[in-house]
Amino acid sequence: MDSATKTAERLRIQIAATEEQLKNLKGQLADLEAQSLGNSFQNVSVQEELDPVTHEKWPLAAEDYKRYGRQMIVPNIGIQGQLRLKNASVLIVGAGGLGCPAAAYIAGAGVGTIGIVDGDEVETSNLHRQILHSTSKVGMKKVDSAILYLKSLNPNLKYNAHTSHLTPENSQGIVSQYDLVLDCTDHPTSRYLISDICVLLQKPLVSASALRTDGQLIVLNSPPLLAGNEAGGPCYRCVFPKPPPAESVVSCGDGGILGPVVGVMGVLQALEATKLIASGKLTSSGSEEAKKDASMLLFSTNSNPPFRSVRLRSRRPKCFACSAEAGLTLEGLSSGSLDYVLFCGINVPVSILGRDERIEAKEYAKLKTENRTDHLLVDVREKVQFDICSIEGSVNVPFSSFQGSRFKEGDGKQPTWIPQSLPPDAPIYVVCRLGNDSQVVTKRLKESGLNKNGRYIGDIKGGLKSWKEQVDSSWPEY
Amino acid sequence: MGSSKAPPGHFTILYFASANSYTSKDSEFLPARLPLAKLFETLDEKYGGMKAKVLESCLVTINLEYVDMPENGEDGVIINEDDEVAIIPPVSSG
Repeated sequence: MDSATKTAERLRIQIAATEEQLKNLKGQLADLEAQSLGNSFQNVSVQEELDPVTHEKWPLAAEDYKRYGRQMIVPNIGIQGQLRLKNASVLIVGAGGLGCPAAAYIAGAGVGTIGIVDGDEVETSNLHRQILHSTSKVGMKKVDSAILYLKSLNPNLKYNAHTSHLTPENSQGIVSQYDLVLDCTDHPTSRYLISDICVLLQKPLVSASALRTDGQLIVLNSPPLLAGNEAGGPCYRCVFPKPPPAESVVSCGDGGILGPVVGVMGVLQALEATKLIASGKLTSSGSEEAKKDASMLLFSTNSNPPFRSVRLRSRRPKCFACSAEAGLTLEGLSSGSLDYVLFCGINVPVSILGRDERIEAKEYAKLKTENRTDHLLVDVREKVQFDICSIEGSVNVPFSSFQGSRFKEGDGKQPTWIPQSLPPDAPIYVVCRLGNDSQVVTKRLKESGLNKNGRYIGDIKGGLKSWKEQVDSSWPEY
Repeated sequence: MGSSKAPPGHFTILYFASANSYTSKDSEFLPARLPLAKLFETLDEKYGGMKAKVLESCLVTINLEYVDMPENGEDGVIINEDDEVAIIPPVSSG
């Protein structure tokens, strides 16, 4: 036993070292690939410099006229718009599904300085939508991976890597370096933080989000006038003063996301940013004469029409951030006295069942092989997930069917998903992906009186994640 | 999410994002006229718990225009026949 533990420990160390080595190799490969692309660009620019037309005579470098020509001849852009783009600096917060396409188009358009903030590393589950990252970059910092790609796309810009997440403490130092901010993050806490710092530092904010097949886009704090000036654009708190309940917040990892959906929202962010910069409306003075009502663009893949634009309110008279009565200050924010996690609530793992109401995955597996007929396993994941993989013999009753008024408690009738052949005292086990929803359902089934006749109802602790760890290593992780 | 017209005496309500998952519907028709102040109650009766779990953090529009939810027992605006109401919860993921 002791020697087995030692062997396992040695193997773990060996695996960790090998993984580290693999990560380094992938990084070297990605660097080399970017360099070879960069070199081919340099060769072109060396030839361009031999051209007798000197840079001084013209405001842009010779190559830039070619590179940006197709957008410069669009009447709304022109040489003036291109020069504004060149002199502008944009901060992209989040290098994920929104940030990747947004950054690609912003770099392509020639925005002079681009900063990217993200503390995460590239994972395989990102690749279907986060188009700046690639298979060889799994494990690399997202910011480094994104900048590698962008440098190969357009080596003539300045890129700033901010490799940790935006926090109340670091936000002033980072955001103050830029003219415009894109919120490409994925959580209510960061949405409120970014909006607040943009109000305080008078930066316009292009905010987008996406989940499953739907997306939202809003241009906030534009024009970016001082708090209390009603002519300024509304902030995120004006539109959504109350954060959604923490337990209702669904991430792309839990709810799913289509690549083109988040892609279209990120591309639209880049478009709004380009419009704001090229038209000279970035600053409060440039935008005052053409104030129009703020709007939110809603995109729903399956809706008719798929795009809807709704008119938003102007600044909320009692807004905490941007009204004359605002309680928000730079000191308060950067000292960390504003608790965004507390404001938005914390989604703690569910823990509502007693020890005797839960069973380990390996215990259930044992029980299943011993007597397979006289119990019922209820899988409460949504049907799309159940169809991907399920435990043999389990029945699917999605968690959503227990929500709202759709599940009548204690109405005396046996639910139709319980087979007639199941003995009235046969145990019911509930399983889900991670072991949270299964507890909620177990509790509701008991409250509905299904546990009379001495029937045992309990959930599988840790859900199908534990099933993979303890019982079936081949279980697909999606 | 249909573009079909509401039957006489009804308005259309569109459910976006988490309102869509909570009701399992993209849209439906509800009886008009309805004071805006009664909208959340009406929906909460139909979909138990929806007010606290979804509606209170939502943006509400009538015919694509933002509306303020009435406070202190006021009726606010009236939702009329043929109006299109949208329930728009904040989406934060990306």
